[in-house]
Amino acid sequence: MTTQEAIEPDEINLGDDSLFERYEQHGAFETLRRRPGLHWNDGNESVKGWWNITRYDDVLYVSRHPEVFSSEGGITQFEPVDPNEQVAAAAGNGKMLITMDPPRHVKLRRLVNKGFTPRAVSAMEAEIRQITNQLLDGVAKEGRCDFVLDVSAQLPLAVICGMMGLERKDWDLMFQLTNKVLGQGDPEYQTDVPENQRGTIEAARITGNMGTMQMFGFFAQLLQQRQANKGHDLVSILVDSEVEGEKLTEEDILWFCFLLILAGNETTRNAISGGLVALCEHPEQRARLQADMSLLPQAVEEILRWVSPVTHMSRVALQDTEINGFPIKKGERVTMWYPSVNRDASVFREPDRFDITRTPNEHLAFGIGEHFCLGAGFARLELKVIFEELFRRFPDIQIDGPVERLRSTFIGGIKHLPVKFTPER
Amino acid sequence: MKVTVNTEMCEGHGKCEQSAPEVFKLGDDDISHVLIDDVGEELRPKVDRAIRLCPRQAISWVAE
Repeated sequence: MTTQEAIEPDEINLGDDSLFERYEQHGAFETLRRRPGLHWNDGNESVKGWWNITRYDDVLYVSRHPEVFSSEGGITQFEPVDPNEQVAAAAGNGKMLITMDPPRHVKLRRLVNKGFTPRAVSAMEAEIRQITNQLLDGVAKEGRCDFVLDVSAQLPLAVICGMMGLERKDWDLMFQLTNKVLGQGDPEYQTDVPENQRGTIEAARITGNMGTMQMFGFFAQLLQQRQANKGHDLVSILVDSEVEGEKLTEEDILWFCFLLILAGNETTRNAISGGLVALCEHPEQRARLQADMSLLPQAVEEILRWVSPVTHMSRVALQDTEINGFPIKKGERVTMWYPSVNRDASVFREPDRFDITRTPNEHLAFGIGEHFCLGAGFARLELKVIFEELFRRFPDIQIDGPVERLRSTFIGGIKHLPVKFTPER
Repeated sequence: MKVTVNTEMCEGHGKCEQSAPEVFKLGDDDISHVLIDDVGEELRPKVDRAIRLCPRQAISWVAE
């Protein structure tokens, strides 16, 4: 679907995760972009309300002023009315790169960012291609698979697990725990909750907390191993690291690992899956690409714009301020919606058209400024390699069943994507 | 006009070099270096573009 029905502002609630599961968010975004000022999104008895930021220039402004719009109050729009109701992950506010403000943010980021530069990323291309082909080998003879479970989730998972030095036997656990943490609102992942209680706010809280605690348990063990026996992986680098003359605490390192594994595998997974869906739904664009794969780098940018796999980031104002003349009070939360800004007609011509040769394409799918996605280079390379190998080996791949989307306001996820293609002999 | 790159922020994405190769060069250290002290009028639009596109927003004009 390219154009969605507009929704009246009074009816819009971007805290409703089923809106995203039904893939009806773009109609709401369209309405809000056209409306002057900012839209206040009411909370409920357990979550405070927030301002929705849906226009490109406004997201640029907020992103460029981390000294005013803080990440340390948490980066999703859910802020419990009762602080005792905090989910476990919220305890990491101020402790992870993604929830940390300058000046500490950049200092911590510099501990690892040499592993993510364009040069470092390029050096991994052969390995990424090899992993990709192993994954495709696994499904080639069947001629059908669940593209998410068998391919798109596995590639980024393998890359980040490899960088962190995790053993192969633990990768599946990382996949499951990532789903619990980032997919906590989706009944499919609420396996710690009795079936008849799934789909509730409480079930989401329990699922997220269980996933977080299990992740911490796993990394606490890994950290002990690394302290005894260092390697060249990211975790070993963190064990020895200092910021302003102080070694990172074990808690710092555990939150760092938690962030790396989540951000490293959930996001690119959905860009790959969403990219394949977009290409299948736009056969003329896909045919153009398959006839000339040199268009792929541009197509990757359009996929990123179109899918915008991270749906939002929120900030809390540290002082009374304004966004484009609109007053924001100290302590109020603002939520930036990336799929919306990436379809802002003041920046993108015919924004609802999927165009693999769109130029320029200055999308904000990775954010911009202080918190620009550290793994953007890997995401781009993984997307490039997977579509090169996929269309080389399975040129007639098609969707073969319902696209099942994640019930989440934070991650534009696809849980299941049945596909079929001519089997390799 | 003088332009500067915040080397703490720069992560070597190279958008600046693509926008204004006369002014910026990505070094072997994966950090962008400013090649000229005084950016002439004719290069300002290119530098403005580099400032706008920098993923880390690490580039800025230096106030005279």
